[in-house]
Amino acid sequence: MINFEYIRASSVKAAVEALAKNPTGGFIAGGTNLIDLMKRGVTAPTRLIDINNLPLKQVEETSAGLHIGALAINSEVSANDLVKNNYPLLSMAFAAGASAQLRNMATVGGNMMQKTRCSYFYDTAMPCNKRQPGSGCGALQGHNRMHAIFGASDKCIAVHPSDMCVALAALNATVTVSGPKGERKILFTDFHRLPGDKPELDNTLQKGEIITGVIIPKNTFNKNHYLKIRDRASYAFALISVAAALEVSGDTIKKASLAMGGVAHKPWRLTEAEKFLVGKTATKENFSKAADLAIKGAKGYGHNNFKLKMAPIAIVEALMIATGIA
Amino acid sequence: MDNNCKNEGRRDFLKKSTALAALAVASPALVKAGENDEKIAALFEKIPLNIEVNGKAFSLSVEPRTTLLDFIREQLHLFGTKKGCDYGQCGACTVHVDGERINSCLSLAVMNEGKKITTIEGLANGEELHPMQKAFIKHDGFQCGYCTPGQIMSAVACINEGHANSRDEVREFMSGNICRCGAYPNIVDAIMQTKKEGSTHD
Amino acid sequence: MDKIKDQPFIDRVDGVQKVTGTAKYSAEYDFPGMVYGVLATSNVTKGTITAMDTKPAENAPGVLAVITHLNCPELPGYKNLPDQSKLADIKKGYRVFYDNIVRFNGQPIAIVVADTFERATYAASLIKAAYAKETFNTDIDVAEKSGKALEGNNFKEYVRGEANAWKNAAVKIEAEYKMPIEVHNPMEIHAITVNWESDTKLTMYEKTQALSSTQQSVMRAFGLKQENIRIITQFIGGAFGSAFNTWPHSMAALMAGKKVGKPLKLMITRNQMFNLVGYRPQAIQKMSMGASADGKLVGITHDATAMTASYNEFTEGIVNASRSLYNCPNVNTTYKVYPLDLSQPTWMRGPGETTGAFALESAMDELAYAAKIDPIEFRLLNYAETDLEDKKPYSSKFLKECYQLGADKIKWSARNPEPRSMKEGDWLIGYGTGSGIFSAWRGAAKVGARLLPDGSLILASGVTDMGPGTATAMTQLASETLGLHPRDIKFEMGDTNLPPGPMQGGSGTTSTLGTAVHNVCQSIKKKLADLVKDNPMFHTEIVHEVKVDDLLFENGFMMLKTDKSKKISYADVIKNAGLKEIELQEDSPGNPMANHSAFSYAVHFVKVMVHSRTGVVKIARCVSAVDAGKIVNQKTAESQIVGAVVGGIGMSLMEEGIIDHRYGRWVNNNFADYHVAVNADVPEIEVLFVNKPDPVLNPMGSKGMGEVGIVGFAAAVCNAIFHATGKRIREIPVTPDKLI
Repeated sequence: MINFEYIRASSVKAAVEALAKNPTGGFIAGGTNLIDLMKRGVTAPTRLIDINNLPLKQVEETSAGLHIGALAINSEVSANDLVKNNYPLLSMAFAAGASAQLRNMATVGGNMMQKTRCSYFYDTAMPCNKRQPGSGCGALQGHNRMHAIFGASDKCIAVHPSDMCVALAALNATVTVSGPKGERKILFTDFHRLPGDKPELDNTLQKGEIITGVIIPKNTFNKNHYLKIRDRASYAFALISVAAALEVSGDTIKKASLAMGGVAHKPWRLTEAEKFLVGKTATKENFSKAADLAIKGAKGYGHNNFKLKMAPIAIVEALMIATGIA
Repeated sequence: MDNNCKNEGRRDFLKKSTALAALAVASPALVKAGENDEKIAALFEKIPLNIEVNGKAFSLSVEPRTTLLDFIREQLHLFGTKKGCDYGQCGACTVHVDGERINSCLSLAVMNEGKKITTIEGLANGEELHPMQKAFIKHDGFQCGYCTPGQIMSAVACINEGHANSRDEVREFMSGNICRCGAYPNIVDAIMQTKKEGSTHD
Repeated sequence: MDKIKDQPFIDRVDGVQKVTGTAKYSAEYDFPGMVYGVLATSNVTKGTITAMDTKPAENAPGVLAVITHLNCPELPGYKNLPDQSKLADIKKGYRVFYDNIVRFNGQPIAIVVADTFERATYAASLIKAAYAKETFNTDIDVAEKSGKALEGNNFKEYVRGEANAWKNAAVKIEAEYKMPIEVHNPMEIHAITVNWESDTKLTMYEKTQALSSTQQSVMRAFGLKQENIRIITQFIGGAFGSAFNTWPHSMAALMAGKKVGKPLKLMITRNQMFNLVGYRPQAIQKMSMGASADGKLVGITHDATAMTASYNEFTEGIVNASRSLYNCPNVNTTYKVYPLDLSQPTWMRGPGETTGAFALESAMDELAYAAKIDPIEFRLLNYAETDLEDKKPYSSKFLKECYQLGADKIKWSARNPEPRSMKEGDWLIGYGTGSGIFSAWRGAAKVGARLLPDGSLILASGVTDMGPGTATAMTQLASETLGLHPRDIKFEMGDTNLPPGPMQGGSGTTSTLGTAVHNVCQSIKKKLADLVKDNPMFHTEIVHEVKVDDLLFENGFMMLKTDKSKKISYADVIKNAGLKEIELQEDSPGNPMANHSAFSYAVHFVKVMVHSRTGVVKIARCVSAVDAGKIVNQKTAESQIVGAVVGGIGMSLMEEGIIDHRYGRWVNNNFADYHVAVNADVPEIEVLFVNKPDPVLNPMGSKGMGEVGIVGFAAAVCNAIFHATGKRIREIPVTPDKLI
């Protein structure tokens, strides 16, 4: 790791200004991904702006919904009664991610900024368009068991590794950001992007912007489940994960919101499946039909072909558990 | 030393090696950043750090890039905290920061300004072992002993967090600590017993 | 004083050190002026280094030295190599920085020394090399199709009775079993601290399972006198076979420490743990087996294919279990090994047998089902009463008892043998079994003993302990043999200045060292008896010269068997004799076992739960019944089997080393991508010991147990998964995708 300049920012404004002065710098919050990447030489910021002292740790109910500060710690959000009671899907997603220690370090904003865990991205001696644009995609014809089946490009088939983000996508959250040009809001589903021709860009943050928080609108979802299928029982990234949130009245589905993790460069909303489910009764048959719709357009790259089969199974399973059919 | 000359040399070399279809060992990001490194290193070699470790206050200077783990081991010579992966993937480096368990390999020392750190060396009360340490011995919650400090720090926190209400809960909340010798069932035994017998605060 | 006999086992003698963080591992010594070594490694797989630029690294802040093949110090051990041009590639070996040849991706090409770890790490990243690349192959499947297998005595076909007799059997199966590279991945990253006191004398703190052989190899390489190399290995943070060799990083650290003349520490990285300190080779095994209609084995044909490095002929007994586990008259085995352009494999827990038993015990289950016979019944029908390979009787064999103990415990008879017949909610339930076998043996060892004037005992042997609890077991043995409380015994180890002990590994440490400890304690008893032979207290009407057999040794006292009131403490004996202490050294020879075959056995029973839709597998329960002879310390012995089973859970469900054969580079060389079992993967594991002594192997009656606990376990899991789902999985690890 190169040595770098380290400064502590005392306000959001100061943080943004500090970054503007050194464009090869970056923010550091929990550090759980950034320090890892710096150790492996994947990234080498020359200035780190420690933002941990910024007043962005709140978890509070507002008229707009639940406001979570960008620096709220994953484990604290997960254990927060407001979250557990009113947004159980988010709490479940947090609990499924990483380890107790990492959840004590990782922040909500940092979780959103996580880089893909693609091996080719991490190994600087192998090609990766995301790390080094133009070098090629090592995973495309390489080991791609963990990789995307939706929305990939021939430049990049990496997936976003977060669990939290999958739940936030399903919960229709909004991201608040601050930057040199002021503050703005980004729909959570628009925050992360697909790789296209620019896999080096993970999200739609503008240069110099900082995440200040997320807002989850109040919801009427009364059936929630976060299902994560992985290679071991804990402390592993998802092969497939499904965030399922439904409003069910009697047997009838009034609202449905579904997102998947481990399948795309961003949390993948299953809009066709959601549309199908609204107005239907909560049955395994309907869940299966929804899953079939959800998987349309999916593409395997070899080692990850199993995901084409596992994805619909996971969708049905998550819906069955959420609705108590299983 | 004249930086420009040095960089010229490297570029010449890279040109030559490109002809041989070679890749640099260092990533392009590093090579690029390294061109500024001499200046940066000169300006920001070390910065002050005030930190309390096991009840003892330290005021010293550290390089920003020094992790909390390496700081504890190599500068404070507290070798009880272990390096098992250095990437946040094993839990051997678990310490408490202001009472919360974290992986010290993924935290920079300078990020812990003003914080209170507890390592395995700070857990016992003099000669009197912490109940969790005693329980690990009684239940043989280790073999080689390398992951043990991390396991014990994690186990104490696991109970303090309220995550030791059942064996299954303990197993999930202790999954951030890998034990390759496979002492897991005994570790769960040790935690359940300590929990049953009460107080565990450090 | 407590009565030792009431205490069946003791807690670990090093427990307090381990739970307080004071146990010292190889990177945890602190000297003034310590410097740090970091390796730079190649990013091509095969070829030659044509140019290197070390200037940026050398000029980086804090850097003291950079060593590459270009400025590698002349080592006597390197100079004395036989003429390389006349050797086959596989015999040339690999010596770090010896030449410019790159043999595997990630090979060390330089060591950078700096005053801090951070500076050394950064400077190492600045090392540049240019290569003339050559075509390479790291893929065993490609090698099998178009490569050339190694030749020689290690690869001769074995035939007992008639080859391929299975073909004519009434019931037969043929199946291919695949397992990937597995990596030891002990929690302690391999590390070394070297401290050259002069150009000809050093102390090194090294992670080694074998002090003596490490000392020998350093001696040869640097042309040093044995007495000038002191190696200290107080604790090893796990090894599982990865710490027998003197690996390249240690040689690099030794060279660098000598060059800079300062104490130097080097810890490799977790990434480098995958290709610098060995791994279990990938294997493809074809099993062809036949049985008569009434379930008697007719023939076993076991064809194994494995891999090694282009520069190191590594072989292991993959096909051995198929020759010796069952009473089968006709057995033929082949073993092919292909050299690949990868780093070298090495022994890993249960080397050979673990790989072989996965195939053999899976195939036994398949054949039992084909013959419609219960898998345990089938094994009992083919129970070997003598070793058909060696044609010798067993020193002891309680495998039948293992079947019985384990089957009773897990209620094997209550299972519905029909595949996919048992369910709990959404989970399919399956029970499976698999057996393990591993050679039991005893080597030579020295141990020193000093009985001090206060009656306490110090034992000393240059053995190391990677976790099984050698010091604990030896303390317990000495306690029982000499009649001393464990707290009055100190076992010193991990230092070449001590009498040379055995290596730690191969399931032979307790057998080997325990014999020496037992014998030295007996010698002390004789010496003590000798010192009191004229003591009138012990004289009776019949006995006027007391002998060791007339005495009991308990709680630090020797007493007359016939009258326990007549007793004297060891301390008083030494005092009365006017001695400073009693000092003895025991030179215990090995046991060649000329007339017996000796094995440890394990039978694993596993209950799995397979989610009927998602394919997720949970190991719900494990019962392992083990014949490891007489158990020295129940507590540490149980832990060792539990640990082996946890390794088996990883092996069967998640561990898989992956190389991208296009680049020859590791894809998952870290703990996030190479999964080992975590706490949540592991259920209650019940360990049952037959606990009957082996009368031949050693005076304790113990056999080995470090390896056998993992042998056969992966098959038990796969067999249980078959029982649960009806799907036969022949390629481990069984990840969820294989079951949907």
